[in-house]
Amino acid sequence: MDSMITAAARALATGDPLGALKRVALRDDAPALALRGIAMAQLGDLVRAKVLLKNAARAFGPKEAMARARCIVAEAEIALVSRDLAWPAKALAAARATLEAHGDRMNAAHARNLEVRRLLLIGHLDEAERMLAELDPTLLPPVSRAAYELVVAGIAVRRLQTKAARAALTRAEQAARAANIPALAAEVESASLVLNTPAARLVRRGEERPLLLEEVETLLASGELVVDACRNVVRNAGGVVSLATRPVLFALARALGEAWPGDVPRNTLLARAFRAKHADESHRARLRVEMGRLRAELRTLADVKATKGGFTLVPRRGRKVVVLAPPVEEQHAAVLAFLADGESWSSSALAIALGASPRTVQRALEQLAAAGKVQSLGLGRARRWMTPPVLGFPTILLLPGPLLNE
Amino acid sequence: MKQSAAEILREYGPFPDADHIHGVTFDGRHVWFASGDRLNAFDPVTGKTVRSIDVAAHAGTAFDGGHLFQIAEGRIQKIDPQTGRVLATIPAPGGGEDSGLAWAEGTLWVGQHRGRKIHQIDPQTGAILRTIESNRVVTGVTWVDGELWHGTWEGDESDVRRIDPETGKVLERLDMPPGTGVSGLECDGGDQFFCGGGRSGKVRAVRRPGRVSKSKGPSQDL
Repeated sequence: MDSMITAAARALATGDPLGALKRVALRDDAPALALRGIAMAQLGDLVRAKVLLKNAARAFGPKEAMARARCIVAEAEIALVSRDLAWPAKALAAARATLEAHGDRMNAAHARNLEVRRLLLIGHLDEAERMLAELDPTLLPPVSRAAYELVVAGIAVRRLQTKAARAALTRAEQAARAANIPALAAEVESASLVLNTPAARLVRRGEERPLLLEEVETLLASGELVVDACRNVVRNAGGVVSLATRPVLFALARALGEAWPGDVPRNTLLARAFRAKHADESHRARLRVEMGRLRAELRTLADVKATKGGFTLVPRRGRKVVVLAPPVEEQHAAVLAFLADGESWSSSALAIALGASPRTVQRALEQLAAAGKVQSLGLGRARRWMTPPVLGFPTILLLPGPLLNE
Repeated sequence: MKQSAAEILREYGPFPDADHIHGVTFDGRHVWFASGDRLNAFDPVTGKTVRSIDVAAHAGTAFDGGHLFQIAEGRIQKIDPQTGRVLATIPAPGGGEDSGLAWAEGTLWVGQHRGRKIHQIDPQTGAILRTIESNRVVTGVTWVDGELWHGTWEGDESDVRRIDPETGKVLERLDMPPGTGVSGLECDGGDQFFCGGGRSGKVRAVRRPGRVSKSKGPSQDL
């Protein structure tokens, strides 16, 4: 490597992107482009960084496959942080394979972390877990180790394994401290907040209280019958019945769960499930049909019995019934849940993440924007959505280690 | 052209707090290497680090019998090895793209990395006296017994090669094992080269083809 590239790379490594830029600003050879790209990314100009890294990847010669792969990994990381989920995941996988083949374990691990983070973000938990299992974290230097443990914690949180999540966050904190990067330590700290912030509300016999993630986990293992309005399922420790695609049935189940052990008058059920103000005979007939369907769906977990005035839920084996509701009742809770990460999202990226049509997401965003709950930047294809900033923890860029070949 | 596999005689390092080797030279007793913000010297017999000088050290290193020369960013510094003081500074010919450095017969020879060139310069002024073209990137340069050798390193491929100082033609090549790079080059004046190993943080001793092969040279031409 030449002298100025070495000097610039050293400046970058010590957290001085301006010092790095000063040394290579006027150079357009491949290593200089790569360093400029990384420096611009660290300075927050992700658009310019992407262009520079793309040019760098192109400029490296055919024998410099490793340097090119590192550029592609950096590009992928920038895409991930900008929530550009349409970025080709295949290119990242290929770059990771190249780094593995050349023995660059550290950057290969970094690439794999990015792949897993992307899967986690778009909700492919099984795939993310499978991929993570192929990585031996003891081989990683502190920076990659912290990123790895954050991903492990992210999966554990979504799987409601709070003990595993807490342990991973503790390891992430140690690694971040060893890496001595304050922004990384802040990232770990903000991730830890998930465990100390109410994740849901418990409704039991008409009374409500907030629940931490840990308490949710305990509740789900307790054997009580849980009408889970966070995921639109009914579950006990032994089984889950999903009503996610049956909104009317879920609304009925929830109404029954909230009133338990009492019953719910027919008129109330009609109002909750059909939004019917004045019930007539046809409504009553429809309610009977829907109740029959609900009884069939829930048969392994509970019975639905008619009472004098309405209906009630009778769980099998005499368990209790509770309702688990989102911490804040929200029409577009899923959209808000994604935006809650504080990043700016394109509506198409949200659509990929939610598995919904772009039009549906667009409509939800417009309604949320009208209510002042989200805001947008830019126009047309460049438009990005975010929640009004509460506490600005950026997702920091770790970027592949020294881009240079030596 | 003669071609053979490089024979690695010994590996030194990695050394504490020196994760990269950027340049290598030999003062007759100790091997000096550049590690970014420091010049370090070790004893090639024991392998022990004997001293270091805090000075910017980003690429090639050379020794003229009295002083060390060290490339830093776009300049070449002349350093007193006793005090560590920078005595003089001249501009490097590649303007920062400089890589290897060697001293021979009163002049400095500077590799220009991606430019694939070696410049001969005036050590007082930095003026370019002449330029030799190579067909590979230049990572280290050394002169020994009238032979000009330089290192190359592209991706997984690296070698040490002797070139004709007039034409740049490759005369002899020692191929390094795959994944083993040469980031700095110096001869001990005898039968071994010291090769900087870049990011591996190692300095490797590589056998220099003996004078036996040199005397064989002409007979092969006959």
